[in-house]
Amino acid sequence: MYRIRFHGRGGQGTKTASRMLGTAFFLAGYQVQDAPRYGAERRGAPIFAYVRAAKEAIHERGVIREPNLVVVADDSLVPVPAAGVLQGATARSVMLISSSESAATWRDRLNFPGTVLTLPAEASEQAELCFVGAACTGAAARLLGVIPRAILEAAVREELSALGEDIIRRNLEQALAAFDCMEPHAGSVNEGVAFSVADAKAPDWIDLPVDESDAAAAAIHASATSVEVRTGLWRVLRPVIDYDRCNRCWWVCSEFCPDSAIKVDADGRPEIDYDHCKGCMICVAQCPPHAIAAVPEQEFSEKTP
Amino acid sequence: MSEQTVTIYKRMKDLPSTRLLGAGTPMCAGCGGLQAVHEIYDILGEKTVFVNAAGCMTLLAVYPFTPFRGSWLYTSMASAPAGAQGVRDALDILLAKQRIKQEQDLDVVVLTGDGAAYGMGLSSTSSAIERGLDFIYVCYDNEGYGNTGQQTSAATPHGARTSTSTDARGFGGFKKDLFAIWAAHRPAYVATVIGSEPLDLARKIEKAKAMKGPRLIIALSPCPTGWDFDPMESAEIGHLAVKTGVWPLKEYENGQVTHTKVPSEWLPVEEYLKKQGRFAHLFKPQRNKALISEIQTRVDAYWAEVERA
Amino acid sequence: MTRALITGNQAAAWGARLARADYMPAFPITPQTEIIETLAGWIDSGEMDCRMVMMESEHSMITAAGAAAATGVRVFTATSSQGLMYAMEMIYGVPGMRAPFVLVNVSRGLQTPVTLEPDHTDVLAARDSGFLQIHCATCQEVLDQTLIAYRLAEHHRVRLPVIVNLDGFYLSFTREPVEIPDPAAVDRFLPGFDPETTRFRAGEPLSQGVVVLGSTPYSYFRYETHLAALQGLPAYAEIAADFAAQFGREYGALETYRSDDAEWVLFIMGSFATKAKDAVDRMREAGWKVGLVRPRLLRPFPDEPLRQVLAGKRGVAVVDQNLSMGKGGVLHSELASVLYGQLDAPPILASFIGGLGGRDIAPEEFYEMIQVLHRAAEEGKPPPPRLLFTGDELREVRKLQAIAHAERTEGLK
Repeated sequence: MYRIRFHGRGGQGTKTASRMLGTAFFLAGYQVQDAPRYGAERRGAPIFAYVRAAKEAIHERGVIREPNLVVVADDSLVPVPAAGVLQGATARSVMLISSSESAATWRDRLNFPGTVLTLPAEASEQAELCFVGAACTGAAARLLGVIPRAILEAAVREELSALGEDIIRRNLEQALAAFDCMEPHAGSVNEGVAFSVADAKAPDWIDLPVDESDAAAAAIHASATSVEVRTGLWRVLRPVIDYDRCNRCWWVCSEFCPDSAIKVDADGRPEIDYDHCKGCMICVAQCPPHAIAAVPEQEFSEKTP
Repeated sequence: MSEQTVTIYKRMKDLPSTRLLGAGTPMCAGCGGLQAVHEIYDILGEKTVFVNAAGCMTLLAVYPFTPFRGSWLYTSMASAPAGAQGVRDALDILLAKQRIKQEQDLDVVVLTGDGAAYGMGLSSTSSAIERGLDFIYVCYDNEGYGNTGQQTSAATPHGARTSTSTDARGFGGFKKDLFAIWAAHRPAYVATVIGSEPLDLARKIEKAKAMKGPRLIIALSPCPTGWDFDPMESAEIGHLAVKTGVWPLKEYENGQVTHTKVPSEWLPVEEYLKKQGRFAHLFKPQRNKALISEIQTRVDAYWAEVERA
Repeated sequence: MTRALITGNQAAAWGARLARADYMPAFPITPQTEIIETLAGWIDSGEMDCRMVMMESEHSMITAAGAAAATGVRVFTATSSQGLMYAMEMIYGVPGMRAPFVLVNVSRGLQTPVTLEPDHTDVLAARDSGFLQIHCATCQEVLDQTLIAYRLAEHHRVRLPVIVNLDGFYLSFTREPVEIPDPAAVDRFLPGFDPETTRFRAGEPLSQGVVVLGSTPYSYFRYETHLAALQGLPAYAEIAADFAAQFGREYGALETYRSDDAEWVLFIMGSFATKAKDAVDRMREAGWKVGLVRPRLLRPFPDEPLRQVLAGKRGVAVVDQNLSMGKGGVLHSELASVLYGQLDAPPILASFIGGLGGRDIAPEEFYEMIQVLHRAAEEGKPPPPRLLFTGDELREVRKLQAIAHAERTEGLK
């Protein structure tokens, strides 16, 4: 059985990417299971989706313990623990990262025992956000080595049929280009094995203690703990204040920021809290003297690894 | 209640410059509802207990994370005002029986979306008002069941596309006039607000906070996800909702409705509509003149009525 | 202490009054209405210091009750049947807040068709909610168990809401002599409510009833609520012993009647158990070795005490005054799960459905149940489930159907 996990952000077409691959397997004669994993996550937040494919019936469900292929549509997710990109990956796993950086760089950075491949810049960089998913699907199809190019094309068409010929065409371009560029690695993903009884370790079952009622209720006896959630990770654009142009107005940026992510000091000087700024760019749009610029987040990750 | 309170919010510089609501909530980037809620929280302060109904903002508090510095109680989609009743009554009993001190008291604030406010929760709201419950109700109105992917609700405006109104004309019904329904109960106070008009919002919340009895606020909440626009446009769409007359800023008090912000010059409604994907079918593939003009006519008729009054 | 002739509804009201409930959100429904009217009268006359609020629905009523309990006052409320069903979202919603209060349910059969008379299908729908359940057989018990219920709900190891159930008509509107304890004695038994840290106060931030994302915390919180409900068993035993010491009335988790040396046992819940007791006496007079076991606690279910009292019996007739569509009697399933695999478990566990919508159970029906057990034991074969329903009753239904059918066809002509 092939077990594939896609990682992306809400709004990047991760679910669609997983479904295009699922459909491709299906059209290629496989038994298939695909499913997105929903939480409370919103646009920009890390999400993931599974695809399983096998020639025999599939009885597994839910979480993939050991993925044969991990597809990362957005490389800024890799260092995010909550995204769980490395979850369950082993020396037998292949990791495909859509990134302008080299596979070697990622291999060193991750200290990952399996194969690391990147979907290089020329295939993904110009792609608008919503086409990254298609590129990932195309690349994944080639790495699996069991999906012919024509079937990939048919699957992309089927999944996007409601969106019109223009959207289909642009997604196909991305998917097929990525398929072609993965030619040197065709078939590098192997099917996973079943989890044998012999290798199994007994679960560490415990008898749940009877806890005090205030601890055993889903109640929070604390103030503003949400600041521990780093929603700054959702951001793909970063608002940057040019303090020479900032005229210390009535804190328009802070007032309009939905996320309490812009603090203003006693002198009226705003400061953006990048741990929490989700990158909505309302401040950029509303700043009266246009003192805030939207800068792609990538520029910062490259400068400050 | 008759004495006129003098606002401390005379100009923008009087607005709070520090934020009370904690960052790190899972609301979408650019959420117009959260924008209004943080502005409201800045005025109400942390001596509050928010009683929440099912909706997007159920997810404000996800164990073990809460953005509130005061308290919060989740109830159900239909019965947040009844939860507020229980909390308010209990606090009153504790005060009367001297089991808590006055400084331990809290303001009780219901927080629901339009799905609860305009529909499932209307019965419990009506009853709480009729019982004279001393509470503030804040409805963040994003004109659809946003948390489940923007299906049509009783707050969806005419012509808008939702995930359950997908045909060429969009939603065929009309947005329910919740302000009028609430005001018909003759509560202490009803107001409309929007996060992009923070001074108007602050004055209304300040006024509501100083009153007793049922005080109800509807905040139009531009929703990048449900209305389909770039999150960056969120505040601009809010401005346009007011400048085109689509979202009248008004308040009800002592039987009178007053409009608090009447633009000297109106922008055509299409300036508001064309920014949003949910109205894109009014402009593409060809302009739906009839529907745009129908929407404009309704807005004009509303303001003509206001002028006559 | 005074002795008075009062209804089960009034007994419930006395329980709330003696418990010094601070708050009562209310909504009327037959046959519960007399409870809230009685309390409203006492509040209006100043005999009771309680705030009552008439809500617009039971759903709102239970929401307000849970919210007030979570704010730290002692809450009483009451409902029945369709009202309990209307409140069901919140019945399942509030226990997880671990805010204790008492809900009296006056059992009444559920629609469709609508009826006013009792069976337990309503209250059994709340079985898996996290509310504990105490079932009463007499008006005295209704009053006493309401007091015990507060102690149980507020017990430090439990902290869960409790339902006290009484049967519509058979208890709700039936007067019996009831000993009304002295308020001072009740105050000693049941001190004022301590909300512990579950309370809303300025300066004590608390977010209550929040979402969890992920199956791990969800499993934890749900199972903890279950464990807390199980803590209710030892807590109840301790509280009932205290009650007996102070008031002289014994309320074990199980009522056992002439069951010690019995070979055959009737297992029945609620007020019809007193009818069964009478039948036990008659059968004993006839020389049959018959006894009765009645669960007072339905949640937590007294598994171990049941295993003990039923060990070595030759057969048990479970009389279910409820119906799980497509399965049968709920208590029969519950008891089977307790006894299965026990080496000395009764070999015969027969299921009888009776008393639906308040249908009477005649003495000879109890006698026949024991005969059925006998025959089953001799044949070594468990008997099929049996609805208590006679040929006469079917003939009565046929007559009604004839009228209903005739009117309809005439109307069509």
